[in-house]
Amino acid sequence: MGQNLVTEEKVFGELKKAVVETLRADENKIKPETSLIKDLGAESLDFLDINYRLEQAFGIKMARHFVLEHIEEMYGEGTALDENGQLTDKAVAVLKIRFGENVAELKPGMDMDEIPALVTAQSMVSGVMDILDSLPEKCTKCGASSWKSEDGVKVKCGSCGEAAEYSNGDDLIKAWLTKVQEEKKLF
Amino acid sequence: MLPLKDKVALITGSSRGIGNAIARKLALAGADIVVNFRKAGGSSQEQAEQLCREVEGMGRRALMVQADIAVKDSVKKLFAEVNEKFGRLDILILNAAKAPFKPIEKLFERELRQLVETNYLGNIFCIQEALPLLERSGGKIVFISSLGSRFYNPAYPLGSMKAAMESVVRDCAEGLRQKNISVNAVCGGIVKTDSFKVLRQFWENIDMLPESLFVEPDELADVVVFLCGKESRGITGQTIVVDKGLSNAICRLPESK
Ligand SMILES: [Zn+2]
Repeated sequence: MGQNLVTEEKVFGELKKAVVETLRADENKIKPETSLIKDLGAESLDFLDINYRLEQAFGIKMARHFVLEHIEEMYGEGTALDENGQLTDKAVAVLKIRFGENVAELKPGMDMDEIPALVTAQSMVSGVMDILDSLPEKCTKCGASSWKSEDGVKVKCGSCGEAAEYSNGDDLIKAWLTKVQEEKKLF
Repeated sequence: MLPLKDKVALITGSSRGIGNAIARKLALAGADIVVNFRKAGGSSQEQAEQLCREVEGMGRRALMVQADIAVKDSVKKLFAEVNEKFGRLDILILNAAKAPFKPIEKLFERELRQLVETNYLGNIFCIQEALPLLERSGGKIVFISSLGSRFYNPAYPLGSMKAAMESVVRDCAEGLRQKNISVNAVCGGIVKTDSFKVLRQFWENIDMLPESLFVEPDELADVVVFLCGKESRGITGQTIVVDKGLSNAICRLPESK
């Protein structure tokens, strides 16, 4: 469901706030192409903090698991990573569909530990936008379709005041993978 | 009088959270500190550097060593550096932990191996490599456990490794008694540190626990310092639960004002 109640600029703004609070990073250094790991020194635990802050801000649930984990859960261990934890060609194919052909670093044999470094501010923003785009047509509580937002961050029903219920990030990744599999028959 | 003056303490995984609090408390008690962290170049290293500056600010010596305890060679190097810089070790705190957060039935082989390598093998590597140094000093080993060792937590396979290590603590306490090395554990309740951030993601109602049942890192650290001092000489092979009473009662009613 397309909705313009929360703009991408607003999401980027909230992400910057979360990154500044978690990493004590300089706000001016956070550009869309900034790698949270390579450029700002974030570690996996820091992502939990950043995700939590975004969840609190927007009333959403970010994905608990990364695309690679979902691939293996859906198509079996070894489909995304070999026994040494290195990317298979199929995993690379999926990641290129998700993150764009031009992610130069992505190649089969790449170590899984290097993947998180590919996460940029923009890819975090896109993840949040995907969830926000799952806003249903109608309020699940009263059935009205009059969403509104006073602060451009939290969305609620204009009729009964119930907070918007979005899909969670993991379900969206799974649905996306199912679609990719139907179209490309990779696995 | 500082109870741990001239002692040297190594705390694995001490850049953050509980390990960081323990390092500071041990330094306050007079010990020189070895700060260990796993990953070079990230926020952990930055926090480890900060901790070293704090320790030195208290007038103690500090040594920072990057080492992944899951890798035996890395552990060997860690203890070689300690020996080279201080020539002794009196206190070994086994605090480092790393685990996937998933129900056990869903763990991939790779994740299972990582779980055992860091949280079981890694700790035993540390004990083995520390032995020659601890034997000379009549040293102390304290393992940091958590209630996950005995209670169900969603998506927390680390609990099973904590349980295994509590058993190792008991075994080593007996096995190393002749060498005058004491081994004990502190089992923490719910602490609002990094791993709580993970817990919070899988256990939505955890925020409903009364604030008074959360343990502060310093409250755990104080018991660790006690176990490292001579006042605890009668305690061996024990796991002391520090949880503000969380595990004592099944039912918790809202607190009266
Ligand atoms: Zn409504």
